[in-house]
Amino acid sequence: MAEIRDFKCTYQNSAGISEEVTRGLDLQFPDAYLHADTMAQLAVHIRKTEQAKFCELPFCHTVEAEAMGGIVNLGDGRTGPRAKEYICTDPQKLLDLPDIDYTTGRIAEVLKACRILKEQGETVVFMISGPFTILNVLIDPRYVFKAMRKKPEIMQQVFDKIREELLRFTERIADAGADIISYADSAGTLNIIGPKNMEWMTRTFTWPYLKEAGKLTAGRTQIALCPKTSFALTGLGLAEWKRIPVGGKIPYVEACLQVGNQCLFTGQMCLKNTGYMADGKIHVLVSTEE
Amino acid sequence: MAASKEELLNRLSDCVLEMEDEEVTGVAEEYVDAGYEALDGIMEGLVDGMNKASDLYDQEEYFVTDLLLCSDAMYAGLDVLRPHLPEEETSQKPRAVIGVVEGDTHDIGKNLVRIMMETAGFEMYDLGRDVPLDDFVTKAKEVNASLVMMSTLMTTTMMGMPEVIKKLEEAGIRDQVKVMIGGSPISRKYADDIGADGYSANAVEAVKVAKQLLGME
Repeated sequence: MAEIRDFKCTYQNSAGISEEVTRGLDLQFPDAYLHADTMAQLAVHIRKTEQAKFCELPFCHTVEAEAMGGIVNLGDGRTGPRAKEYICTDPQKLLDLPDIDYTTGRIAEVLKACRILKEQGETVVFMISGPFTILNVLIDPRYVFKAMRKKPEIMQQVFDKIREELLRFTERIADAGADIISYADSAGTLNIIGPKNMEWMTRTFTWPYLKEAGKLTAGRTQIALCPKTSFALTGLGLAEWKRIPVGGKIPYVEACLQVGNQCLFTGQMCLKNTGYMADGKIHVLVSTEE
Repeated sequence: MAASKEELLNRLSDCVLEMEDEEVTGVAEEYVDAGYEALDGIMEGLVDGMNKASDLYDQEEYFVTDLLLCSDAMYAGLDVLRPHLPEEETSQKPRAVIGVVEGDTHDIGKNLVRIMMETAGFEMYDLGRDVPLDDFVTKAKEVNASLVMMSTLMTTTMMGMPEVIKKLEEAGIRDQVKVMIGGSPISRKYADDIGADGYSANAVEAVKVAKQLLGME
């Protein structure tokens, strides 16, 4: 029987926006979160502050949902953008939300920021959110859970809509030159949705999305999975670990970049764990279907 | 033939356990119409169902999503039974302030803890999500709380927790309240590091820890 293990998050390498990071910067908040040039400037500053090897975009998990109609509190220099209020209580209404327009708003700016950073020679890790994290901005999760139990056909359509949207976004991120797309769904983890829902989501959403995303990004952008997602894929036998040698003891993100085209997905460790070192090898994920 | 009290109590309990938030309303109305005591309906029916759900959660048969749906059914039943309760007794419940710290909007875990605490007899003051840090202190003072409970799912916002503890000290009420923390990136070690009194990995355990901290067990 399939068994999905959980990966325990750690906090040793907390990253992102904080007062300490933004203090002294010649930027106005929250305005800096709205424009490509200031986003790029901020990303470089965070990278330097944290002595990381890469710049991370965006600074929150609300970009996709906002572009779908969600309401966001842009925050300030102390705390970054986050959800403000839900826009509906009926999952059916989510089906009426417009497709994302990638030419306007914060989502267009963050893609532009990625291009700016690449022009500056930076390594860019672009974070993309999974469906529960996106929905968490749009609707109280209890309505989602209820619909998954009582109106699964509606939720299937909602997840299909989000998957199509994420694929379009993924392609644009690769077009913008990101080195790595980091995929996670922090609001839809095993300990929240339980093994049954996790299996259903992994089989019907995550794995189909990832396989398609892998085709769209192959040879251009690597997809790094949150280990919680990795464990779901391996636990269900959809993917398995493959050991790949890397040159010496190097930061995990460098190892991911080094194995580049040799695999579709990395996902052994959380990219936020910036102190984690790959010691001569990393484990990558390969499909068991091939 | 009218259903017996025991039969209706079992159905109330089952409705909660089976997450039947629509059916429970009808059963609760039938129970009230039959003239049975509302308090028994709550404690031996609805809360009994929630406690059974909590046991199943402990056994990893139920998960967070299940408990939330069970609680929907419990609250739907409470809406029917509560107006039929006798005048409230004066015995005071322990009070707790709960919220997701500023910067974070993930509130599933916090909601579940609030529900389980309410089920266990605590008077909960839910500040919601993305709560300004000062609000924890202000509300704790205002309601004379015994507990301050904070949650976050994000590593970037967990640093708000020690700030609240510091603010409780500055307000001179740190020794009057116990502080509990939880959330995905939180650990017992982190709780110890920042001087919190308690940590729990899940909502069911949170009730146990809260009771221990307040000397209720």
